[in-house]
Amino acid sequence: MATTAQITITSADLMPGSALNITANTTLTKAGVTADLDQKESGVIKLVTGTEYRLGPLATEMAGDAHDIASYLYVHNKTTEDATYYVDWGIHETMIGRLYAGDWMFIPWNASDNDAEIEIEPQGGTNIIEYCLFNSDVILPTAG
Amino acid sequence: MATLIPTLTLSSTDATTDLLNFSITDSLNITQDVVGPSKIKLTTSDLEIGPTTYGKSYVYLKNTDDTIAINIEITDGNSAMQLAAGEFAFFPWTGASGIVAFSASGTPYLEYAIFEA
Repeated sequence: MATTAQITITSADLMPGSALNITANTTLTKAGVTADLDQKESGVIKLVTGTEYRLGPLATEMAGDAHDIASYLYVHNKTTEDATYYVDWGIHETMIGRLYAGDWMFIPWNASDNDAEIEIEPQGGTNIIEYCLFNSDVILPTAG
Repeated sequence: MATLIPTLTLSSTDATTDLLNFSITDSLNITQDVVGPSKIKLTTSDLEIGPTTYGKSYVYLKNTDDTIAINIEITDGNSAMQLAAGEFAFFPWTGASGIVAFSASGTPYLEYAIFEA
């Protein structure tokens, strides 16, 4: 499963006389090796405000050791543009940033242990999130 | 005030039978401080690349090394992500906690930029 990601960051007026034009490409692979990732999970979810949610599996819900459980996470806040709507995102109890309506993020997520889970918390009202998670091996929970 | 336009494209011909090929873009107003595209040599010791003097910002990171991974922590000691060789990240950051980078080994170079909204 060869998946590639490209980012471009441009600005015509950020630095006068020198237009910004960053381009970077990467192929999504398992940590430390060149093998392609095996699994993909994506979706669109509606989240009510004021509740913390976990996005993606815990480390113990993925097979392999930490070396094999590198993942890539794409999240896009699809909520209609409104500055009072945003989603706080972080890892475990560390809040890192705010994904305002229309914003997106893409990170290689190091799901090394269960305290490295991705947490999101919508604010301002119901937010709609589009996400895509690429990883190695997720173990489905056993039936009760 | 300046306008920053980040665009991400994800594509795959075999992730699923439904071809993956989409682009997402955004238009961000940048009104405060900017660290333009910069490149710095890391070691295995912590180096703060994003101090807490920043407010709401957008961060771009890229590991330019061919083999060595780079660890990124949000506040010292909290592992956030590991950039394998050639990998990049783009994410919103509140500036409430500093961004620290260090190498898994050796002295890889990290390319980075910070755009404060």
